[in-house]
Amino acid sequence: MPPAIETTDLVKEYGDLRALQELSLTVEEGEFFGLLGPNGAGKTTFINTLVGLVRKTGGDARVFGHDVEDDYRQARDAIGLAPQEFNVDRFFPIREVLMHKAGYHGIPEEEAGERADEVLKRVGIYDKRNERFDWLSGGMKRRLLLARALVTEPDLLILDEPTAGVDVQLRHDLWELVTELNEEGTTVLLTTHYIEEAERLCDRVAIMNEGRKVTVATPDDLKTRGTDTISVRLEDAPSVTPSVGGYAHETTLEGDRFEVRVDDGGSTAPQLLNDLEAAGHEIADLEITRTSLEEIFVDLTRQDDRTTTRSDAPTNEEASGNETAGDEGKETPAREQEGIA
Amino acid sequence: MLSVGFRALFQRELLRFIRRPKNTFMPPAITNVLYFAVFGIILGGRIDEPVAGIGYILFLVPGLVVLGTISNAFENASFSIFHGRWNEYIHETLTSPLSYVEMVVAYVGASAVRGLIVGVIIAVIGRLFVPISIENGLFLVATMVVIAALFAGFGIIGGLVARDFDDLTVMNQFILRPLVFFGAVFYSLTMLPSTWQTVSLLNPMVYMVDSVRYGLLGYSDMLEIAPAAYAEFAPYASLGVLTLLTIGVVAVDVYLFKIGYGLTD
Repeated sequence: MPPAIETTDLVKEYGDLRALQELSLTVEEGEFFGLLGPNGAGKTTFINTLVGLVRKTGGDARVFGHDVEDDYRQARDAIGLAPQEFNVDRFFPIREVLMHKAGYHGIPEEEAGERADEVLKRVGIYDKRNERFDWLSGGMKRRLLLARALVTEPDLLILDEPTAGVDVQLRHDLWELVTELNEEGTTVLLTTHYIEEAERLCDRVAIMNEGRKVTVATPDDLKTRGTDTISVRLEDAPSVTPSVGGYAHETTLEGDRFEVRVDDGGSTAPQLLNDLEAAGHEIADLEITRTSLEEIFVDLTRQDDRTTTRSDAPTNEEASGNETAGDEGKETPAREQEGIA
Repeated sequence: MLSVGFRALFQRELLRFIRRPKNTFMPPAITNVLYFAVFGIILGGRIDEPVAGIGYILFLVPGLVVLGTISNAFENASFSIFHGRWNEYIHETLTSPLSYVEMVVAYVGASAVRGLIVGVIIAVIGRLFVPISIENGLFLVATMVVIAALFAGFGIIGGLVARDFDDLTVMNQFILRPLVFFGAVFYSLTMLPSTWQTVSLLNPMVYMVDSVRYGLLGYSDMLEIAPAAYAEFAPYASLGVLTLLTIGVVAVDVYLFKIGYGLTD
C-alpha cells in the first residue's frame, strides 16, 4: 500500500515568495501525523496542494499513490478536509450541505442522508440539522467542518488548526473523536499551533518553517533533542562561576543559584555534584528541568540554521563514562527531583 | 456524465434558485409585466405594426423572452460562481472528485434552466396581453436551449473573472443590456437605414433575438435582409453558429476550471 501522503521536492511560488521549498514528506497509512510550524510556515499551502486548492509550482505530490494533478479525482476522493476557514455553503440547512458534499463524492442521495445524520450525531449537532450555517455558534461551526470532512468516510482526514479558538470542552471532544477515527484506521494529518495537542495525539510530527521541513520525529524523540537545566543551590554563594566538565553547554551563576544546561539532566547530575564538591562547594538543593516540546519548537523554528541535536555535545555514553564511583548521598536528590521535573 | 456526483451538484444548483423565487423569478416577472404594459399597450398602441401582420406587443414577445433568458442565465452562473468564490464554499465542489467537465456542465446546465424558466414565465405573461401561437416549435426550443447555455457559459467566465460584486453588475448593465437593447428587441431591422442594418449584424444578440422570433412567430428579419441566396437558410445558419459558439464557450469554462483560474492559488 502506498503512503497516505508522499511529496517529493514540492515547490509553491507566489511571485518572489516561495511558500513551499522543496518539501519532501511521507505520511504512512494509518498514521496520526502532526504538522507544526509558525504562521506562514506553509502548512495550509501544503494541505491545499493535496486537495487541489493550490496548484504546485514544482515537485510531486501523491495521495495513496494518486498524483494530485494527474489523478486528481482519486486523490480528492480519499481526502476529508476540515479547513481553518468557515467555507460552508450558506444557502442550505447544514444537513443538506453534508448531503451535497457526500453526493459530490458519488454517494447516492438516500445513503448521503443517513451519513449526514450519523456524522451530525457524532459531532454532537444533530439537533441543529435544519439550521443554516450562519446561525450556528462558533463552536458548532467547527464541529460542522469536522462533520463535513467525515461525511465522505475519507481514508485521509486532514484537520487544519481544528481547535484554534475553541473552548476546552470542544477541544477534548475533538481530540477524543479524531483519536477514535485514527484507531479505526483513518490516517490523520493535523496542523496545529498547540504543542500539547501534537504531543498528545500524534505518532510523528514534522516541524516546518518558511516553507521548509525542519525535522520529522516522534514527539518523544523531539523532546530528547532538547537540553535539560540542572539548577543547584549552593550553601555559600561563590564569588566566581564554578568551572565544571565539558558536559555543560552553558553555566550561569546568580547569587547562590548555579544553573548548568546539559543534554541529559538525570545522568549528568551525579557528575556535576561530584565536580562541585571536589571544587569545595556544598550543595543545598538540586532541581532538574526538562525542555518542553514548546521550547524545542520555538528553538527549531526561530533559527533553523542552528542544529539543536546532541551531535554538538558529548554523547550520553561519553558523559556517563566520566562518572565517578556512585555516591548514594549525591545521587538521591537527583532521582527525586527528576521525578518532579 | 450523469454520475451521482454530477446530479448532486446539478440538483444543488437548481435548488439554490428554485427555493428563492422572490430573488430569482419575481423580479423578471414584474419587470416584464411593466414592459408589456408600457411599451406594448400604452406606447405600442400608437406605434404602427413594425412588420406587416404582427402587432407591436406580439413583436416584442420574442425579444423580451431572449432578454430575460440570457440575462438570468448569465446572472445565475456568474453569481453562483462568484458567491461561492467570495465565501469560499466553492471549495466543497473543487475538493470533490467531480471532473472539471462535470462541474462546468452542472453549473452551466442549472443556470440555463433558470434562464429557460424565466423565458417561459415571460412568454406566459406576454400571452396575457396578446394571443401567441408557436410557429416553429422545435427550432424555438433548440434556439432557446442554445442561447441559455451560451450565456450561462459566459456567466461562468464572468463569475471567475469578477473581483467584487460590482464587477458582476458592470457586466450585466454595461455590456449585456446595451447589446440586447440594440439587438432588435424593440424594433425590426427592416425599420433601420441600411448602414445601421449592417452595423447591427455585428451584434450577436441580433441573431439570437431573430432566431427566437423566427421560432415563435415565423418571422425573421434575416429572411428579409440577407442576400437572396442565403436568405432561406439564414435562421438555421444563426442557430448553427450559436451552437458552435456555445460549445466553444463551455470548452473555455472547462479550461478555466482545469487551470484553476480565479479558483485556486
